[in-house]
Amino acid sequence: MTGNAEELDLKERLNLIETMIAEGRRTTESWGWTFVLWGVAYYVAIAWATLGHSTLAWPVTMIAAGVLTVIMASRSAGKRPETTVGRAMTAIWLAMGISTFTVMLSLGMSGRLDLHNSVAIVGAMLGAANATSSIILKWKMQFACAVVWWASAVVGCFTSDNVTSIAFLAAIFFCQIVFGLYGMIAQSRKQKTARAGQGVSHA
Amino acid sequence: MPELPELNPVIHGKLRLALLSLLTGVEEAEFTWLRSKTGSTDGNLGAQLLKLEEAGYISVKKKFVLRKPQTLYSMTEAGHRALTEYVVALKQLLGGAIGD
Repeated sequence: MTGNAEELDLKERLNLIETMIAEGRRTTESWGWTFVLWGVAYYVAIAWATLGHSTLAWPVTMIAAGVLTVIMASRSAGKRPETTVGRAMTAIWLAMGISTFTVMLSLGMSGRLDLHNSVAIVGAMLGAANATSSIILKWKMQFACAVVWWASAVVGCFTSDNVTSIAFLAAIFFCQIVFGLYGMIAQSRKQKTARAGQGVSHA
Repeated sequence: MPELPELNPVIHGKLRLALLSLLTGVEEAEFTWLRSKTGSTDGNLGAQLLKLEEAGYISVKKKFVLRKPQTLYSMTEAGHRALTEYVVALKQLLGGAIGD
C-alpha cells in the first residue's frame, strides 16, 4: 500500500468513527410520529368537544393517545439502543404529560376549566417541554416550536375566544403535524444516506 | 523523529471499529440494532462481537422480553480506553503523514 492510500485509509477510519458515534447518539429523531399522533389527537379532542359537547372528549382522547404511544413505542423499543439522552427525552415528555393531564383534569372536575386557561396551560407546558428538548438536542427547529407554543399561551391570556382558538389550532398544526412530518422525513433521509454510505459490513 | 504509534489490531478491523464507535455513544444496544446500523450479516457480526468480547472491550447480557430472547451489548471501561487510545494513535499517524 502506498503512503497516500494508507493515509486515505486512516482518514476513512476516522470518518467511520465519527459517523458511527453520531449514529449511536441519534435516537430521538425517530419520534416524529409521536408529534403527528398527538397533533391528530388534539384535533380529534377539539372536534369531539366542540361538536359533541362532551366533557369526556379531552380525557378520553388524551388517555387513548397515551396508550397508543406506549404500545407503538414498546413495539419499536427493541430496535433502539438505551441512551442517556433518550431517557432524558422520555422523562421530559412523561413529566409534561402527567403535569398537564393532572392540572387539566382537576380544572375540568372543579368546573374552572375554560378555553383561555386551557390554551395558556397547554401552550406553556408544551413550550417548556419543546424548549428543554431543543436545548439538549441543540435543535433550533424545535426551539422555534417552543416559541410558537409560548406565543399561543400568551395569546390565550389576552384575546377573544375566536383568536385564542385560531392561535391554538395553528400552533397544533405547525408544532405537531408539520414538525412531526419534518422529523419523520429527516429520519428517513438520514437512514437512506447511512445505509448507502456505511460500507462496514466486513471485518 | 518521534516513533509513530502502533494501531490496535483488535480495533483496526472496519466492522469492529464501527461496532465500538456505535457502542460508545449508547449505554447498551441490541444485536438487531447493531446489525441494522452496520449492514452486516448475522454470522459476521456475531464473530466480530465475540472478538471484541474476548478482548474485554464489550460485555454481553442476555434477557427475555415478552418471551423473546434479547442480546444486549455494552462497552466496557477497557473498550472506551482502547478506542480513545486508537483515535489518538490514528490522529498521530495522520499528523505524521500530513507533516511528511
